[in-house]
Formats: sequence, C-alpha cells, structure tokens
Amino acid sequence: MVSKHESFEQPVAVGTRRGVRRYITWLSLCLTSFMALMVLIMYEARWVYPEIQAYFSQTGSLTGQQLATRSRNYLQRAQQTLLNEQRFEEEHTALVVLNLDLAYGLMDVDIYHRHYACTTPSLAALDSLSLRLESGSVPPFAAARELLEPIDCLTHIEMSQLDRRGKAINDFSESTRRHNDVLTYSSMIIFAVGLLFWAMHERQLRRTERATAQTLAWMQRAMRDPLTGIGNRSALQRDVMVSADESLGLILVDIDYFKQYNDALGHPEGDQLLRRLANLLKEQLGEDATLYRLGGDEFAAVFSCPNDQALIACCHQLIDGLRRSAFKHPAHPDNKNVTLSVGATRFSVMETTFAYAYEAADKALYRVKAAGRDGWQMTASL
Amino acid sequence: MSAVMSFVAVQSSLAKWLRASLACTFIIVASYLPSIAYAQALSMINGNETQKITISDLRQQSDTAVTLFDPYQGRDVEMRGLEFRRFLIDQFGEVPPALHFIAWDDYEVTLSGWDDPNWLMVTEEDGEPLTLRTRGPLRLVERNHGAREVESLREFNDWIWMIRSIEARW
Repeated sequence: MVSKHESFEQPVAVGTRRGVRRYITWLSLCLTSFMALMVLIMYEARWVYPEIQAYFSQTGSLTGQQLATRSRNYLQRAQQTLLNEQRFEEEHTALVVLNLDLAYGLMDVDIYHRHYACTTPSLAALDSLSLRLESGSVPPFAAARELLEPIDCLTHIEMSQLDRRGKAINDFSESTRRHNDVLTYSSMIIFAVGLLFWAMHERQLRRTERATAQTLAWMQRAMRDPLTGIGNRSALQRDVMVSADESLGLILVDIDYFKQYNDALGHPEGDQLLRRLANLLKEQLGEDATLYRLGGDEFAAVFSCPNDQALIACCHQLIDGLRRSAFKHPAHPDNKNVTLSVGATRFSVMETTFAYAYEAADKALYRVKAAGRDGWQMTASL
Repeated sequence: MSAVMSFVAVQSSLAKWLRASLACTFIIVASYLPSIAYAQALSMINGNETQKITISDLRQQSDTAVTLFDPYQGRDVEMRGLEFRRFLIDQFGEVPPALHFIAWDDYEVTLSGWDDPNWLMVTEEDGEPLTLRTRGPLRLVERNHGAREVESLREFNDWIWMIRSIEARW
C-alpha cells in the first residue's frame, strides 16, 4: 500500500538521483582526481616552503646571526679596549660602556633567561661593571677579567642554540622526508585512480558511440525496402520534407497485372521482376532521382523538376526504356511484355502538402488504369 | 611706552641667550659623559640632506601608547611612541618606497612596505625611556602581531632595534 506522499515523492527522488548521476560521470571523477592531485601538491609546496624559509633564509636578518654571538662580539671588543689601551682615558671608558650596553641589550632576551641560568647573573655582572667603570673604581685589567664569565655564558648559549637549531633542522628534514613519501605515494594512488576513471570514461564513450552507430544503422534499415534496396514510404516522406524549398517531380509507378505475373511464374520471379524494375527506374531517371518502393508493386520516384516539360520527358523516357527492356509477362491479358501504369505531378512542398501531391499523382495513375493501362498521365502542376 | 617695550625686548633677548647658553653647556657636558654621549639623536637622511632629531624631542612627540606582548621580553609591555607612517610623512613629505636603517649595534638593513599605520616607533617602555640596554633609544614594533607565533623570534625580524639613522630610498 503506497501512501499519497510516497506516490508523489518517489518520482521526484528518482528524478533527483538521475540528475545527480548525470553530473557524477567517469570524466568528472577523473577530473576531480587530477584536481585533488594538484591541490595535494600545492598544499605540500605551501607547507614546505615556509619551513625552508624559516630554517635556511635567515642570513643577514636581525636574528640570522645569534643574538648571543653578537653580544659576545661586543664583550670581546670591550675586553680588547680594556687590555690594549696603555693610557685608559674617559673616551675609552665611554667606548667600553657603549659595548657593554650593546652586549647587555642583545643578551637580555626572554628566551635566554628561560633556558640558560647563567644569563641573569651575567647581566647583573655587566650592570655592576658598567657602574664601576663609569666611577673609575675598577682597573681595566680587572674589568677585562670580569668579562670572562659573561663571555663563557654567551659561548655556552651559542653552542646550545646551535644544537637546538641542528636538532630542529634534523626534525624538519625527517618531517620533510615523511611528507615527501606521503606526497609520492598519495600522488601515485590519485594518479592511478584518475587514469582508471579516464579508462572507464573512454569505455563508456566507446559504448555510447557503438550504441549510437547501431541506432543510426537501425534507423537507416527502417527507411529501406529490403527486397530492392531502395527507400520505403517513410523515407519518401522524410526526404520530401527535407527538400521543402524545391520544385519536385513525383512519379508513381504500378506494374500492370502483377498478380497474374506472380501466379504464372511464382513469387520468387515476381521479386526478381521488382528488383529489375527498380534498376530500370534508376537507369532511366538518372542519379538525381530518388526511388522508393511504397509496397507491393507500387514504386515512386522524386526528383528535382523545374517545369512540366521535364516531367513529361521523364515519363516518356521511363515507358520507352521499359519497352526496350521487354520484360516477358507470360500471363499478360493483352499478350504484351510487362507494362506499367504511371501517374505524375509536379509540386512544391512550400505551396502544397505532400499528401495532396501524392493524391494528385495517384489520380493520374488511376486515369491510366481506367484507360486500359500501359501508359502515363500527369496531373497539372500544384 | 617705548621704554617699556625696549625693556621687554631686552628681557626677551636675555632669556633667549640664557636658554642658548644652557643648551650649549648641556651639550658640552653631555659629550663628556661617557654613556650619555651615544644614542641621543636620530639621523634622518634624504638624498644629500641629513637632519638630526634629538631623542628627547621624539619622546615629547610620542603621542601613541599601546600595551602589547614583546616576544623578546616574553611579557606584555606598555609602549609609547610615534606612529611611524605619520612620522615618515612629516619628515619626507610622503612614505618612501624603502628605508635603509643603521642601528647602534652596526646592524644595517633596507626594508620596504612602511605605508602601514601598524608600525609604531617606540621611545618609552613602561614609562621609562628606551636605552641601548633596552634595545633603544628607538625601536620599531608592530601594534598588531597578526597570526604570527610569538614564541618564534624569527617572525619578528623586521622589528628594528637601536635605530641610529633612517635613510629614504626612492
């Protein structure tokens, strides 16, 4: 028992599923795979590049050289001044104090305070030394010796920081290698999946092409008369519609006493006569004319026909050609060879309907039959 | 009346002379004091012209205060200074495409992208004037760190310390 809602919603749901399926094709899956590959590569590149920047692009920048190294350089400069000057004057004191201040500023960094216990005492030592130097209460040599401890501390910081940086670079290198592996394998998998989807898409495409070709072949066959190989009634209507803007000649051909022919010679001979007649029509009307078998012993020919004279010429040509061919008809009531009744008309689909033109040609044909057959008649142009 | 005006004029000239004399004395005395002689002025260089601005003048002009986390000190610090972009416009007429900095610790760098109100030229920290020991007398900081990791000092490479001169690069 299906409820009202279910009966209404089911077709909608089916429609939605079909709509979704239309967009999820093998091709779209394939393109999505390759897009995913691109995104993965871009993501990895974005991940790696800033890390490389952070570890390897620091030369010349503020923290490119360790602050501890720069601080130590200033302390060593101060030490050099303290030890080298024979007469230690106020300008030398000022220079030493300047170097101590610079060293202090570069060493007084939170990360050093947190990680290296010698930082705070060293800074206190520098502070005390600066004051004593300014007041002249410490001899230069003693001051130089007092700097050894802060220099030791800074050297320790430098070495430890280098170790930390080395460890960080190793970690980064390991992480990069891991990411590289992930990138390689995932790229290969996504690429393979993309190729698989592409192959599926190609297969589907070939199937569709084959199905289309089969459909077209069936359609062609449906428009052909299997006995004579010429078009059938459906083909006639289709072709006339296609050539709508031309002035066309329509000839209807009927074999006289065909039933008697079949009765006398058998249906295989009758079929043979139909094939020979189709060939005769082709020969007499030329390449421009298109032939159709409308059923039984009735044929039609359509061709481009600019005026009535051309149509009359075609009818004469056809009858004369048949007489020359002299197809035997052992059961002809008038002891003749095979004869035809031909009705013709000229028309333009723009001006009249095909059905009307067909009726006009058919009337002409029946006039011939009524007049004793073996001849042609034409209905005036429509 | 004119006598009064002459008296006022003489008094005014006398006051100017006294101020000038005091300034000279201060500069002479200061130049003999070892630690004060350094880092007391900023050189602003524009082509062939060099203008010296005293740090005390810059402190007086400091009209912007902000409390922010200083990654080098590992704590929140109340900083006071000048909006650097406005300062550049006052000095050079407009913000130069690039600036070449020289610091008191001989660090030199050329950087661009200063047309940004985020930059503050700091002169005081927690109410105290910046000195060389506190990475002064002038320091450039960003008022907003953005998404940068404060634990990584590498991310704050463009915080220029101990600024001694600023040269416009056009």
